[in-house]
Amino acid sequence: MATAELLLVDDSKVMREMIAACLRPEQGLAFSHAGSGLEAIERLSLKKFDLVILDLNMPDIGGIEVVEFIRAQDRLRELPILIVTTRGDDTSRSRALGAGASRFMTKPFAPEALLGEVRALLRRDTRAVS
Amino acid sequence: MTSPFDVREFLAGFLAEAEEHLRSSAQNLMALDRSFAQGQSNARAVRDLFRSLHTVKGLSAMVGAEPIVDLAHAMETVLRSADRAPGTLRREALEPMLQALRAIEERVSALAEGKTLAPAPAAILDALGALQPQDGQGGARPDAAVSLPPEVLAKLSAAEKQQLVEGVAAGKRALRADFVPTPERAAAGLTISSVRERVSNVAEIVKVLPLSRPRSEEAPGGLAFVLVLLTGGSDEAIAEAAGIPKEEVLPVAVQSAPQPAPAFGEEDEIPAEAVQRRTIRVEVGRLDDALERLSALVVTRFRLSRALAALGARGADTREVAEIMAENGRQLRDLRAAIMRARMVPVSELLERLPLVVRGITRTSGKKARVEIDGGGGAGDGQTPEGRSIGGAGFAGVASRAGQEGRSIGEELDKSVADRIFPALVHLVRNAVDHAIEPPDERARLGKPEEAVIRVSCLERSNRQLELTVSDDGRGVDATRLARKAGREVPATDAALLDLLTIRGLSSRDEATTTSGRGMGMDIVKRIVDQLGGELLLKTQRGSGSTFTLRVPLSITIVDAFSFACGKQPFVVPVATIEEIVEVDPGRLVRAPGGREVRLLQRRGETVPLLALESVLHMERGTEPRRKALIVRRNAEPYGFEVDRMLGQQEVVVRPLEDPLVHVPGVTGSTDLGDGLPTLVLDLLSLTGSLGESRPS
Amino acid sequence: MTGSGDLHVVFKVADAEYALRASDVLHMESYTGATKVPGTAPYVAGLVQIRGRVVPVVDVRARFGLAPAPLTLDSRVVVAQANDRTVGLLVDSAREVLRIPQEEFKTPPEVVSRETQGFVKAVAQSQKRLVLLLDFGKVIGEEPSLPASPVAKAGRPEHAIGEVTANGQ
Repeated sequence: MATAELLLVDDSKVMREMIAACLRPEQGLAFSHAGSGLEAIERLSLKKFDLVILDLNMPDIGGIEVVEFIRAQDRLRELPILIVTTRGDDTSRSRALGAGASRFMTKPFAPEALLGEVRALLRRDTRAVS
Repeated sequence: MTSPFDVREFLAGFLAEAEEHLRSSAQNLMALDRSFAQGQSNARAVRDLFRSLHTVKGLSAMVGAEPIVDLAHAMETVLRSADRAPGTLRREALEPMLQALRAIEERVSALAEGKTLAPAPAAILDALGALQPQDGQGGARPDAAVSLPPEVLAKLSAAEKQQLVEGVAAGKRALRADFVPTPERAAAGLTISSVRERVSNVAEIVKVLPLSRPRSEEAPGGLAFVLVLLTGGSDEAIAEAAGIPKEEVLPVAVQSAPQPAPAFGEEDEIPAEAVQRRTIRVEVGRLDDALERLSALVVTRFRLSRALAALGARGADTREVAEIMAENGRQLRDLRAAIMRARMVPVSELLERLPLVVRGITRTSGKKARVEIDGGGGAGDGQTPEGRSIGGAGFAGVASRAGQEGRSIGEELDKSVADRIFPALVHLVRNAVDHAIEPPDERARLGKPEEAVIRVSCLERSNRQLELTVSDDGRGVDATRLARKAGREVPATDAALLDLLTIRGLSSRDEATTTSGRGMGMDIVKRIVDQLGGELLLKTQRGSGSTFTLRVPLSITIVDAFSFACGKQPFVVPVATIEEIVEVDPGRLVRAPGGREVRLLQRRGETVPLLALESVLHMERGTEPRRKALIVRRNAEPYGFEVDRMLGQQEVVVRPLEDPLVHVPGVTGSTDLGDGLPTLVLDLLSLTGSLGESRPS
Repeated sequence: MTGSGDLHVVFKVADAEYALRASDVLHMESYTGATKVPGTAPYVAGLVQIRGRVVPVVDVRARFGLAPAPLTLDSRVVVAQANDRTVGLLVDSAREVLRIPQEEFKTPPEVVSRETQGFVKAVAQSQKRLVLLLDFGKVIGEEPSLPASPVAKAGRPEHAIGEVTANGQ
C-alpha cells in the first residue's frame, strides 16, 4: 500500500499533533504540517498530497478561502478535503460544502470518527460498495 | 472517550497554546478599552479576540474541559456579532468579557494543577448573554477606492479597506509586494511564513492573498502571494525582507469615499437602560407593501444588469460598474432578509392570548379553568444555547433572549407560521375546557382542585423544532366512546387514538357545543401541523388528563440552503440534506447495466447512481452540460442529482406550499432568492424514490 | 353598504365573460409568468408572488380544456379566496367591476352547464351582455375529501387534489 501524503492545516500545533495521534492506528500515512492557510496553499503548490485536513478558523486567509482556492485549480479539483473545525455558527458547514470541501467534522470528535473519515477519503475502508 | 491517544500526552501543548491565547486576548481587551476611550473602533482587536476564543473553545473541547468551552463560547458569540457589524461592541461589554477571561484563566490553571474544573459561573454567562442583540449603531463602513487587481480587491474586507484608508490618512504609504514560492526558495528558508514575519517587522501587513499564476519557470507552483502593506519606511527594507527586487514593490493608490464614520464614542451617550429591545407595532400589510416595493427595485436592477451586459458586449469596460452591481445585489438581498425578519413574531405573543380565550369559554360553560404559560426556552436556562447567533447579520430563525421577567421565552416564528398555529392552539385549549375538564363539583368529588389548570408550554428542541404542548388535568380522552361513535375498534395506543380523533367530521360529543364540536375540528389541527411539516402527538390517561404536543419544525421557516440552476430555473435545497457536492466529469461516468438511463459515479469506493434532476422534475432537457451533482444519502445509500451549476448558498425563508394544487412530493415549499419570484425548495431525499422511474424526455 | 354584495369582478376568457363576487377577490395583477411546479396538474401555471404572498395560479383556459392562447398585455391574474385557500386565475383580461344584483342570476340552462363542465353555477344578463358566474371552488378543485398526505414522506407519487388517504400515514 503506497504511503499517503497528508497535509494537516491548523494554526494550533497541539491540535495538529492530536490529529496525527488519532491517525496512528493507520499504517502508511505521512504527515506534513502547515500553520496557516497561506502555508497550506504554498505547500500544495510545491508537492502532491492525497488528503488535506483543514481547520476553518485561521488568521489571514480562512479555511473557506483555502478550499475555494484549491478547487479553483484544475489539478487539485479532486483532492479530498476534510474540514475539522471548532463548531461555530450554523453556516460553516454549508459554506464549506458549497466551496467544495469533501467532508466536515466539528471538534470535539471521537478519534475513531476521524480515523473513519480519513480512511474513507483515502479509499482505504473495506466497506462493501453499495 | 476511548482513544488511541491519552489526552494527558497533549496537556502541556494545550496549556502552552491556551495561555498564549489568553495573554493576547487580555491585551486585545485592553486595546479595545483604549479605543473606546478615544472614541474609535478597533476591528482588528475584535477579530483577533474572536479567533482566539474560537481556538480556545476548540482546544478545550478536545481535552474535555467543558466549563472553558462554555465560557469561550459565550465570549465568542458576543464577538461574532461585533465582528460582523463593526462598531456594535459597547463599552459595557468589556467588563463581563474580562471577567469571563479571568474565569477561563482560573480553569486553565486548575487544569495545569490536575484539579477538577468548576463549572462556568452562571452570572458571567448570563451577563454575556444579555449583551445581545446589538443595535447596529455607529460603525459605518466607509468605502474606499483601492488600485489593486479586481481579484485581490474583491477579497479585501470593509475593515481592511478602512485600515488602508486610515493608514494613508496617517501619512503611511500603501504598497504591494508579490512573493512567489519555489522549491529553491523553500530550501533557502524563504517561505510565505518566514517572509510574512520578516515583512511584518518593517511594515504593517493589511492582507496576504494567494493568486493563481500560470505555471512557469519563475512560478513553478502556479502561485504568487500578494502582500498588501502600509509603511512609513522604505521600499528597500520591504524588498529585502521579502527577498524580491526593489522594483517589484509597487505603490497602491487609496482614496476614501466621502462617508463620515460616526465616532464610536457616541454610543456612550445612550443610557444603559435603553439597551432593552425597542419595538413598535407594524401592520403586516405595510411589510408586504415594503416587500412589493423591493420587488420593483429588484426588477430595475435586472434591467440595469441587462443594459450593462449589452454595453459590455459592445466593448465597454464594465468591471467597476459590475462590482457596484454585485454590491447592490447583496444589499437588496440583505434588505429583503431584513424585511422578512420584521415579520417574525415572538411565540410568547401567541401564547399570551390564550388565557383570555379560556376566560371567555369558562364563563359560558360554567367550568373553572385557567391557563398557565411555561416558556421553556431551550438548551438550558441562563446559558446562551449553542448555534444561535443573534443580532448578527441575517440569522433570524430562532432568537432566544431574556424576556421581561428574565425567563427565556424569546423564540420567534414567521408571522405566517404563527398565524396558522394559533387557531390550532386555540382549538386545543377550547377542546380541553369543553370536553376534558370536568364541572367543578365533579372535580371536587374526584379530589381535584376546583379550578383546572391548562398548561401551555413551548420549548425549542435541539434539532430546531418548536415544541408546543397543551396539557390538562381533566378526564382524558374516552377511547371507548370515541370508537363507538366512529364505528371502529377501540384503539390500543395513544397514537391510534389520535388517528381516530383526527378523522374528519368526528366530534366526541353527541351534539355540537357552542364553542367546539363545530367548525374547527381536530382534523384541521392535524392538517395544519402536517402542512407545516410537523408532528402532532397525544398522551392521555383516563381520569388524569391529556397532553397534546405540536412539533413545528422551525427549519421550515428559515433554512441554510444551496441554490443551483437546473434547466435555467433556479432551485434551492437545504444544506442539511446534502452530503457533498461533486464535479461531474462525463468521461468518468458509467452507464448502469441493463440499458437504463441511470449513470453511475465512482466516488471513493462507492458507486453513486446519478439522476439528471431535470428529468426527475419532468422539465425540458437543457442543452448545457451538467457539471455538478448533489449527493444525498437515504437509508445509508448515496444518490446523486445532476444539476447545471451551483449558484451559491444563503439562508432562505421557506414558505410551505399549502394549497393542494401545488402540494407535490419533492417540493417542500417556495422561497425568494431576492428576485421577487418564487423559487422552489426541493426535498431531494423524497425524489430519490423516483430512481428508475425517470425516462429521458 | 346596500347592495355591495352585488359587486362582481368581470373577466374574459376566450371571449366569454365570467364573474366572481368582488368581496371574494383580493387582487387583480398583470401576469409576467409563473414558477412551474413539477408534478402538478397541467392546468396549474405555477406559483407567483403577489404582495408578499406566494399564490398558485390556475390557467383558466387550460382548466376549461380550451386551446392555449399567447399572453398579451391584457392578461391578468385574478386572485380570489374560498374557504382557507387563496388561488389566482389566469385570464385573458379583467377590467370591470359590475353591479349585478343577486336576483338577476339564474340557473344556467342545461346545455351551458354541460358545456362548461359545471364550472359555471349561474348566468346573468347585464346590459345586453351574458355574464357567467364562476364556481370558484370547482375551478380550483375544491373537493370535500380528506386532506392529502403531507409532502416529503418517502416519495410515493401522489395526486395533488382529492386523493383519499388515511390519516397519520
